[in-house]
Amino acid sequence: MDNYEAIQALHNSLPPFSPYVPASLLPSIALILLASTFTLAFYFSTLPKDTFPLRETAVASLASVLGGFGVVALFCSAGVNV
Amino acid sequence: MARRWWTLPLFLVSALAPSFSLAGPAFENTAIVRTIELGGSLVHVSTTYAVKALEPGQTTYQIALSKVERAKTSWLEAKVKGQTTPLKLSEDESSAEYLLSISLPKALAVNGTLNLVLETMQTHVTHPFPEQAAQNEPQLLKYETDLFTISPYTTLVQRTKIKSIAPNVISYTTPHDVDSFVRDGSVTRSGGTITYGPYHDIQTDTDFVAKHQQSVSVHYSFDYPVIEVETLRRTAEISHWGSNLNIEDKAHLHNAGPTLKGHFSRLEYQSQNFQRKQAPHILSDFTLHLPPGVTNAYFYDQNGNVSTSHLRTAPSIAKGSKAVQYSVLQLRPRYPVLGGWNYSYTIGFDTPLQDSVSYDAKNGVYMVGVPVLTPIPGTVVNDAEVKIILPEGATNVEFVSPFPEISNSMSTHISYLDTVGRPAVTFTYKDLTYKHTGIIYVSYQVPLSAHLKKALSVSAAFFSLFAFTFMARRVNLNLHKK
Repeated sequence: MDNYEAIQALHNSLPPFSPYVPASLLPSIALILLASTFTLAFYFSTLPKDTFPLRETAVASLASVLGGFGVVALFCSAGVNV
Repeated sequence: MARRWWTLPLFLVSALAPSFSLAGPAFENTAIVRTIELGGSLVHVSTTYAVKALEPGQTTYQIALSKVERAKTSWLEAKVKGQTTPLKLSEDESSAEYLLSISLPKALAVNGTLNLVLETMQTHVTHPFPEQAAQNEPQLLKYETDLFTISPYTTLVQRTKIKSIAPNVISYTTPHDVDSFVRDGSVTRSGGTITYGPYHDIQTDTDFVAKHQQSVSVHYSFDYPVIEVETLRRTAEISHWGSNLNIEDKAHLHNAGPTLKGHFSRLEYQSQNFQRKQAPHILSDFTLHLPPGVTNAYFYDQNGNVSTSHLRTAPSIAKGSKAVQYSVLQLRPRYPVLGGWNYSYTIGFDTPLQDSVSYDAKNGVYMVGVPVLTPIPGTVVNDAEVKIILPEGATNVEFVSPFPEISNSMSTHISYLDTVGRPAVTFTYKDLTYKHTGIIYVSYQVPLSAHLKKALSVSAAFFSLFAFTFMARRVNLNLHKK
């Protein structure tokens, strides 16, 4: 049981967990990121069809990354807490 | 081999020593008092041994428990009377009994005295008698125990006090053949307390046990419902993105009091409620004390949400500090649980992750503390399973349980937005009481890449949509050439 007591003391003395993004900001972040994803997706649909799809790939990648983080923030603010 | 001729025979004789139930006259019990507090599904036994050392330099004291009694005991603790730190104990099983060896805080000199207290919690030891009761009849339980407290040492005087909360004890057995040990009466009763003893000069070796040990039973009235939680499945899910620890308990309650005789009369139930004289074996509501800082509590059963609950939250406290105020959740099951009836429900709540998880920045190790159970007052949990679900990508998982578990295992749990699944640690326990509310500690490491993987897997799904659109725009579906 000494081992257990030592672990308990260690747990109590270490600093608490702090998230990368504070939980109270998550709904606002979700809104901003998903709004930008929507806007960029619309912009993607207006782009001309080039042979080298540089612009299309760039816009699509940016929109998906923002959408990915936005969906995670959305789930957490809805209470699912992934 | 050793020089002396008697070494081998001495070795053989000492190997036989553990089978003797008498440990030799190293101690003498000047008094043993065993106090049994009767409850419904739990019985709390506290035995005080006033010991005197007869030989110098004794560091271990042995307490004997019969096999039957040890099987009934689900929690043991030995302390010096008046102090709070428990003493180290180790158990040995011999053919006739269990011996607990207690390490004394410091060695006792000859004729040195000490008061030791052994506290135990017994479960499943009472049974309703009569086994059936109508809705307006009282609840009567029966408890049985051995008359004499056994010990490897001689006892100068011992007594057993059985205390019932309600003062009306229906009957109790009078011991027989104990005249050689008593000076006054062998049993006395005062209100709800029955005292067997004092019995003088007892040496509980095997002959004594065969000749004089007998079981005594007390038939008493108990004014609270006798509830057993047959199975409890606790799931603790950790989310680093949401900074949240969700704890969910799925419980199957069983009312182990006398089974209902006749049918359930709602009219009788309502009139009892109105007169505030509800029958003791009906469970209509119970209260749970949840950790402070609880949010989003839910209570549902197989039919759906149960709205008859009330939560009073307490403000969140820092990790590791002792809770002064708990959140109080009052629950009323969908129907009153009468004797022999069952009720299954699920409750859950969220707590902020910073109250339970610590982070060691130097090694990059997170440690979470999850309580084993939130006890329903006065109940026993027959079979409990605690599953702690760690974030996806957790590695180097180590864990420790506050008291020995039946088994532990690791598995993979798949949940929302998972790619490979989350590691989960599962512990199983049995016969838990309110004394078993320890905290399980699990340490793990999660790299930043595992956190990002979750968001990037959703990004990959979005990107596949964009890729599909990219190709779809370049496909010409016109039927006629323009």
